Amino acid sequence: MTTTAPTDVVSPSAAAPEASPRGRLKGTLVGLGIAVATLLAGLAVPYVVTDTYRMSLLVEGTLLSLLAIGIGFLARHLGLISLGHGAFFGAAAYGVGIATTNWGWSPTTAVGFGVVVGTGFAVVMGLLVVRSSGFGFLMLTLALSQALYALSVQTSARPLTGAHDGKLLSYDRDMTFLGLAQRDVMNPGLFWPMAWIALTMCATVLWLVGRSRFGTTLEGIRENEERMRFSGYDTFGPRLVAFVLSGAVASLGGALFAINSGYVSPDILGFTRAGDSLIAALVGGFGLLVGPIVGTFLFVYAQANFNFGGNLHLFTGMALILVLVFMPGGITGSLQKLYHRLRRGRR
Amino acid sequence: MKRRLLAATTAVTLSLTMAACGAASDSSGGDAEEGPIKIALIPPTSGALAQFGTDSVKGWETAVRLVNEDGGIDGREVELLVKGTDADPATTLRVAKEAVTQDGAQFIGSVMTSPEHGALNAQLEGLGALSFNSLGKDDALVGEQCSPYAVHVVQTTSMDVNALANSIAEMPGEKWAIQAVDYATGHSAAETFKAAAEKAGKEVVLEQFAPLNTTDFGSYITKLKNSGADAVFAVEFGADGVAFVQQADQFNLDDQLKTVLGLNMVSEPLFETLGESIVGYYNNVGYDAAADTEANKEFIEAYTEDHGSAPYYVPADAYAAAQILFAGIEEAGSSEPAEVAEALADLTVETNVGEVTVRGTDNQVLRDSYLGKVVKGDGGLAFEVVTNTSADVTTTESDPACKF
Amino acid sequence: MNAAQLLNGIALGSLLMVLSSGLAMIYGLRGVANFAHGALYMSGAYIAYSVSDRAGFWLALLVVPLALAVVGVLLELVFFRPLQHRSHIELGLITFGLALMAERLVVLIWGERTLRVTPPEFLQGTSNFLGVEYPSYRLAIIAIAVVLAAALVLWLRSTTTGLHIRAASQDIETAAIMGINVDRVSLVVVAVGSALAGFAGALAAPYIALDPGMGSAFLITVLIIVVVGGIGSIGGAMIAGMGLGVIQSVTTVWSPSVAVVVPYLALTIVLLWRPTGLAGKRVS
Repeated sequence: MTTTAPTDVVSPSAAAPEASPRGRLKGTLVGLGIAVATLLAGLAVPYVVTDTYRMSLLVEGTLLSLLAIGIGFLARHLGLISLGHGAFFGAAAYGVGIATTNWGWSPTTAVGFGVVVGTGFAVVMGLLVVRSSGFGFLMLTLALSQALYALSVQTSARPLTGAHDGKLLSYDRDMTFLGLAQRDVMNPGLFWPMAWIALTMCATVLWLVGRSRFGTTLEGIRENEERMRFSGYDTFGPRLVAFVLSGAVASLGGALFAINSGYVSPDILGFTRAGDSLIAALVGGFGLLVGPIVGTFLFVYAQANFNFGGNLHLFTGMALILVLVFMPGGITGSLQKLYHRLRRGRR
Repeated sequence: MKRRLLAATTAVTLSLTMAACGAASDSSGGDAEEGPIKIALIPPTSGALAQFGTDSVKGWETAVRLVNEDGGIDGREVELLVKGTDADPATTLRVAKEAVTQDGAQFIGSVMTSPEHGALNAQLEGLGALSFNSLGKDDALVGEQCSPYAVHVVQTTSMDVNALANSIAEMPGEKWAIQAVDYATGHSAAETFKAAAEKAGKEVVLEQFAPLNTTDFGSYITKLKNSGADAVFAVEFGADGVAFVQQADQFNLDDQLKTVLGLNMVSEPLFETLGESIVGYYNNVGYDAAADTEANKEFIEAYTEDHGSAPYYVPADAYAAAQILFAGIEEAGSSEPAEVAEALADLTVETNVGEVTVRGTDNQVLRDSYLGKVVKGDGGLAFEVVTNTSADVTTTESDPACKF
Repeated sequence: MNAAQLLNGIALGSLLMVLSSGLAMIYGLRGVANFAHGALYMSGAYIAYSVSDRAGFWLALLVVPLALAVVGVLLELVFFRPLQHRSHIELGLITFGLALMAERLVVLIWGERTLRVTPPEFLQGTSNFLGVEYPSYRLAIIAIAVVLAAALVLWLRSTTTGLHIRAASQDIETAAIMGINVDRVSLVVVAVGSALAGFAGALAAPYIALDPGMGSAFLITVLIIVVVGGIGSIGGAMIAGMGLGVIQSVTTVWSPSVAVVVPYLALTIVLLWRPTGLAGKRVS
């Protein structure tokens, strides 16, 4: 078999780092400033969007975005495309469900536990898969996440996961998630700040990691793993760390998702869900950090408006093919190209 | 530079999205005491269940046509908002929220699967909508997942199993084998049935569970053949049920069996697919189309006129749900969901499925369950009702796990 | 354990063998795991339903592979060839998009209902095989699959086209330098691979129930088989397919819930013990 070329989907991201350390620091500060501004601006959303339905779509988009930026991080920095991140999202969601309903933990602790569970699965899966790359990686992540699905619907897992029936979260009325009782947690307007803060924080962290020395190492591995190994770098460790980090972000999304919806069903671990997030991230574009977020919001919008007759997947399939054939780099990648072309034209 | 650009893009994109949403918001439900009474129907429009979803909507449509022709309820017109879902609980919830908060629906019907109902029940109180479940049979829906805002119109699985178990003497066969789906329903059905069989002096020679979505039943059927059973109780649904029946036929399993008894395995929409190999099969039946009551005749006539085909249990139960809802609104003198829910408690209603009572402790509708046998009639295959068992026998009391 | 249970395993294994050899062929040559393989298999089954309804099952067994070969030709000409300079992952994801669309198209054409296909008259019921009463149709599946597998191996081993396919699967660039018409070889392989998927669907139609989820249900199993067999190795895929079918059926007798996990378990064990798969090529 021929060697796999670096994926076009990913390559537009190979941005030249700022030349001097001072410029780098300045870039970081500006970036952080923008992050804080975005965070604050986002907090005002519930005052603008007053009706619950649209607000709940925004919350859903935000939580699924956490999953998508996890997938996007791996794709951007390591060129690895994962179909298995649904497993971490789902494992975290089940972790929350089990901790609250079965063990009577408070929702706040349970969310922490959920993230730990999801991240734990990421460590296990990472150990098995990060040695592979390209197609091997894609198929292994898919197969292992499906294994988790198969286990979750087993009858012997029923006391924990509720098997096919799913799991309804229940906890005492006086227990709260960061001050929100169960009824309030399901109110998207009240839940929004947590989702939004989680997303902006995770996005910022991933951005900072990408800019760090570690991020540079990852990019080196992506471009030529063998050369990195010959240069004396350990490539397994960084790959595993990156994989676990992206899994942890997806886990946070899953844990919050479980708390917000009050219900976890096995679909969350299914093949379709994993595919949907990957498609959303791809359509948005892996080259930029915001690409997967844009893609996910588009997907949630499409799901709410074009799902009539169950034909959603006809459209998402089409969108995936069109984007891959005609605009590799996704929507944000194409916008970026357009922007650069315009700037060049002006000079 | 690129990094800064991306951050700027985020802010712009997100604020644009939000502005767009903000501009279109601010629509709320209509006044509950005036204007039409709105019922949102959320049937599955894709997946293997779509057929049932469509037929459930037909039942509601007939009920609404009749009531509106009579001048509505207390002079108010009834309006159906037909939506759709892919039967994923998350989708159904989203559609339900949209229907209630955007379109002003006060009532919800035609939601199909038990997981969807489980998810919906958890949110009904917050939404302030009343749901009528004429399709999801899971016992947990009137147990730990129950809601004062959910009326369980259809029989629960345990009611059906109890009816079958109660009729075990009617069916030939001494050595029973149980073939069930490895699913909560399969296990509880097997347990109930086994106890009843042993009580009736029958022997249970084999009990086996196949995972949901099994495509190849070869190993299971071979075991059934080797067990020496002369009767089989099968709990297999949808595609699994079709595969089981078809493969049992190929293995000539029927040759050694006096009775095949299905739970939710054989139903009218599958008759054409399953073909004549199922003549003589027993199955639970939710609705007796031949029931000789005024309400039932009116229903069958109106339904056949509307849709050009005879009804079976799915539209019949949807129609019954509508009858109960209308009676509740009349009793409450209001279409405020909370008041209707209160009025429905222990209310007795005359419907196409007989005289039924809504049990106040868990909102289960108390009604008969039937055992049917597939016979070949003039118009193809049909169910002939062999026994009917009343709710006093099938569900003696509500699940203590349900607290309103 | 008895002979009938072993036959159950061999029947399932035969089906998986036909299905996975098609996938392995395309994978070996194009380096792309065709995610649409499950959708091709499902389309084969549904087309078989329509054809056998009108003209009988045997004709369906002939028409379906031809129809799917045409689909394969389109797949090659529209996607694989023009985009061959793109990364394999991208091509794979395009087939993923195609699979999503195909699944909906099947629903739009044939509807949501579960369907069944009746086997030909003389294959209904059971026959006596080595003292075991066993369904005739399943015996026919085993016989057909074995003949097909033998023919495929013979074709690859002893014809010029087969030689070219093997050469191009080893190293497509060197093969091109050596004067092999790689485009033609690729067209043949993708067409034959798709035809095999369709043939498996037609064979499966009277065996299992037809519903729109049948493609994705098998897809993951078949992907696992190809990885376990050694990516790109047709022989490895055949052996792994048959092996998995037998192991899974036998495990079902003992514990159905363990049987569900068997493919994943097999995958994990093989990867830990022999990361290149049974037939020994590298997983990448």
